[in-house]
Formats: sequence, structure tokens, C-alpha cells
Amino acid sequence: MASSTIQEPFDLIRLSLSERVFVKLRGDRELTGILHAYDGHMNLIMSDVEETIMLVDVVDGAPPGQPATVNVAKRKMPMLFVRGDGVILVSPPSRT
Amino acid sequence: MASQILPLELIDRCIGSRIWVIMKNDREFTGTLLGFDDFVNMVLEDVTEYETTPQGKKKTSLAQTLLNGNNICMLIPGSAGPEEES
Amino acid sequence: MDDTTPPPPPADQSPPPPPPVQTHTGSPTDFLKGVVGKRVIVRLTSGVDYCGVLSCLDGYMNIALEQTEEHVNGAVTNRYGDAFIRGNNVLYISAAEAI
Repeated sequence: MASSTIQEPFDLIRLSLSERVFVKLRGDRELTGILHAYDGHMNLIMSDVEETIMLVDVVDGAPPGQPATVNVAKRKMPMLFVRGDGVILVSPPSRT
Repeated sequence: MASQILPLELIDRCIGSRIWVIMKNDREFTGTLLGFDDFVNMVLEDVTEYETTPQGKKKTSLAQTLLNGNNICMLIPGSAGPEEES
Repeated sequence: MDDTTPPPPPADQSPPPPPPVQTHTGSPTDFLKGVVGKRVIVRLTSGVDYCGVLSCLDGYMNIALEQTEEHVNGAVTNRYGDAFIRGNNVLYISAAEAI
């Protein structure tokens, strides 16, 4: 199990270097890409990135609880710097 | 000088009793205070979380919980929380 | 020098009894020691929940979780083998099994 090699949370990131990772960001954004570098702020350098943006359209005057329409936008970037304060979650590829 | 009590001394005296925690946003917690640290991160037991949403109030029951002090606004010692009869 | 400091005890005085052994005091550090390796619920300030086994965490409340399920409004929205959660997003860590 992973816990045998992990002493602190950043070990999880260290073990994911050069791997394809999933990153969840503030503002309903998600990234998948190859992780090249990180630091203590969780600033990241990623390559071959696909960004997925969830755009939720709330209809004006709609009753609360009505399902809002969700639009998904995707785009690709060859190389990317991610500022750490936007990061919510990083998940490495499953090592099973 | 008259005997002064520091704010965190008051909280220290609440350890073992019920406390009502009001966050900076529309969230509240009640629980038995087990301990806290210099950041006022708090360990609570038998916790109820109250969340005010557009859909109404939401209640969640939790076992032992470490509450991040970052978003805490107010602490009310000895209170059973928003549902207490006043 | 603080003149309220009491003088050192005489050398022949027997040492004070050791403090009672408490299996767990209530401090955040003790809670975290008790909860590592156990199932926990991590709620973020956004209201999203992550349920999983707590691998480890650090002083910023950065968290490593295993076998993680992401819950939004009660529904499972994602599963991760491992997940790193940046500590600034954490609202609370709650024990999901006896500790």
C-alpha cells in the first residue's frame, strides 16, 4: 500500500513526477498532464495539459434547486505553470 | 491590576464542555471541546454542523473532528448552539 | 530576569509524581496521531467531502488520502487511489471510524 513509502503529503507529489496527474483547481477547473516540477506552495510545472472548465449557467429567476445547465469547455496547452494557491487536489495515476 | 483573563484562557476553561462555534461564513458547529492549539484549530466530539444554504438549514452529525481554525469567527462557551431554547 | 520565578527545589526533595498517563489528550496533534491510518471525512470550505484512509498530513493541514471518494451533495463524483489535498482548502477532518 502507498502508506509504506509516504511519510508526508508531499511524498505523494514527489512520487508522481514525470507521471500524468489529475489536478483540481479553484473555479471549477481541472487539469490532466505530465507533472515536471513542484514546490512547497504547490506551484506546478506541467506539460501536455488538457484543461476542463465547468461553466454552470444559472437561469435568472429559476427556483432554487433547479438543475442548472452545465457546459464543459476543454482546451490543450503544451506547457503550463500553475500557481499553487489555486490548487485544491492532486491525484497521481493509480499505482495498482 | 484586576485579574485579567486572556481570551484563550476562557476557551481553555471550556475544555470538556459544550461549545458553539460560528464560522466567518454561513456555517456553525456545536460539540464537546476536547482541545485546541495556538491557531485555535479545535478538536470537538459529538459534533453537529449547521449549514445555511439557499435550500434551507442543513444539519450533519460528526464524530471526533478537527476543525480548522482559519475560518472560525466566534466561540460561545457552554451553549448547545442554534437550537438551544433561550 | 523574572523575579516571580520560584527558587529551585531543594535537592533532597523527591521528584514530583509523573503526570497521569493519558492515552489521548484532546489536542489537535493528539487527534491527528490517533486518526492516521483510519477512515476520515475531509470537508473543504467549498462543501465538497473527501472520504478515505488518512495516509499522513503536515503542519499546513496538507493531506494525503488513500482509497478516496469525492462526494458533492451526497453523491459520489470521483474516486482516487491516492489524493493530495492542499491544506488551505480544508474545513475539517472528521473521524469516520473509532479512534
